[in-house]
Amino acid sequence: MTPPRLAFILGRPWGRRTALNWLVVVIAVGGVLGWTAGNVELSLGELVRGAGWMGEFLGRMLPPHWGYLGALLPKAGETLQIALWGTLLALVLALPLTFLGARNFSPNPVLYHGVRQIFNAVRGINELVFALLFTAAVGLGPFAGVLALAIHGAGMLGKFFCDAIEEVDPGPVEALRATGARPLQIAAFAVLPQVWPSWISAGLYRFETNLRSATVLGMVGAGGIGFELVASMKLFQYEDTAICVLLILAMVMATDALASRLRAKVLES
Amino acid sequence: MIEVRDLAKRYGAITALDGVSLRVAPGEMLVVLGPSGAGKSTLLRCINRLVAPDAGEVRVAGRTVGSDARRLRDVRRAIGMIFQNHNLVPRLSVVKNVLTGRLASMPLVPSLLQVFPRADLDLALECLDRVGLRARAWERSDRLSGGQQQRVGVARALAQRPQAILADEPVASLDPKTARLVLSDLRRAAHELGIAVLCNLHQVHFAREFADRVIGISAGRVVFEGTPAALSPDALAQVYPGMEDESDAPSPPGQESDGVGGNGAPAW
Repeated sequence: MTPPRLAFILGRPWGRRTALNWLVVVIAVGGVLGWTAGNVELSLGELVRGAGWMGEFLGRMLPPHWGYLGALLPKAGETLQIALWGTLLALVLALPLTFLGARNFSPNPVLYHGVRQIFNAVRGINELVFALLFTAAVGLGPFAGVLALAIHGAGMLGKFFCDAIEEVDPGPVEALRATGARPLQIAAFAVLPQVWPSWISAGLYRFETNLRSATVLGMVGAGGIGFELVASMKLFQYEDTAICVLLILAMVMATDALASRLRAKVLES
Repeated sequence: MIEVRDLAKRYGAITALDGVSLRVAPGEMLVVLGPSGAGKSTLLRCINRLVAPDAGEVRVAGRTVGSDARRLRDVRRAIGMIFQNHNLVPRLSVVKNVLTGRLASMPLVPSLLQVFPRADLDLALECLDRVGLRARAWERSDRLSGGQQQRVGVARALAQRPQAILADEPVASLDPKTARLVLSDLRRAAHELGIAVLCNLHQVHFAREFADRVIGISAGRVVFEGTPAALSPDALAQVYPGMEDESDAPSPPGQESDGVGGNGAPAW
């Protein structure tokens, strides 16, 4: 009899105890998943029964109402501009705090944890929730959308920027400290050259994400193409809905392609 | 002039420095020898207070190196430092890396806006000239070879117009030829510019070749002090305890010994 020709290797060989532990974990995870599947009403049957209705829905979208495109383009433009300003203001809000929220540069732990918690809090709340808040504050329209993206995005970018600073090579920082350079000079000459490519890359990625978010902000009245999307559905103008969806797709894909090329360029440098 | 008196530093249960005293005169190149973990690096970092010593006194150019932040920055301007892995800022040009040696003497706001005094730029280029790299001034520093980057590190230290230079294993990761270039740069800086140079090395033959004076450190204490010529086998045995045990192992024929790292004890 020939010995087996394949070996299954995950880590070091298991003892009986480890195998038993894994068995317990698998059973526990399986149990939890089974229980929650019931709670969220996972049901293949419902999906199959609904398929027909979805087909009908898609059918009503055809043919797309191309004449609607002209009226829709300005709204798409507004979405793009909301994403742009949301990203820029997020940068403006996040940048001044980044060095305070980086463990290796923060002047004291209270400030460090404070800044990190602010970033965590605004990151934890979805853009749509902020949009509802700001439409109440500054009224319906794109400005509320810009503010929503700016606040949520500041939390995202802030955390990323702080993490990038924490990961810099400490060698050049020590070298500049040894020359007697002042803290701001150390930040500008030893840290920024190490982090700016990843910062710009994160900013571009944020713009991509903001554009996707901006397409739904209109649903709560915060400007952009989302309002038209919801309105056309509520009025059963599915041919118009189709145009909205297609335009959003085109816009998002074009931006993603452009931004990822820019990011690749920046990261190369 | 560097003056160190009774310097002590502990990391938890480990004693890194145990009452080290030394002086380096202007224009003198003092080499510190010792095994890894003997406290050489801690000694240098305590002199410019990148590491705060537990006890002892450090004076450089007549000024005490203490904890007051403003005064510390001020005295650090007079102390250049060279690191084992050069610690240049990646992505910055060579000349800007050298200019970072001038930052402490520049007005703050213009420097943050990347506006530098002409005189500082000229000085930076002159320092690059000194290490033979002026032609590479506008290239990105991380495009240079390891040896060239280390020489830019020397230029950065020189740009401070320092009274003292601390060099922490400056040639540990360089080939012997490049290592000689860097050590020559340092010795010339000492002899021509009157800088007090304190240089950690672990290659005994480089100490013999380049040092004006040698100090041996073992377990945080000075166990040898003298001229390179006084580095007898007995003296080395004190600096590197336990080396005798390996000396009866035959050295492979024809192999050039390049310091303590290899089994080249007979080459001393």
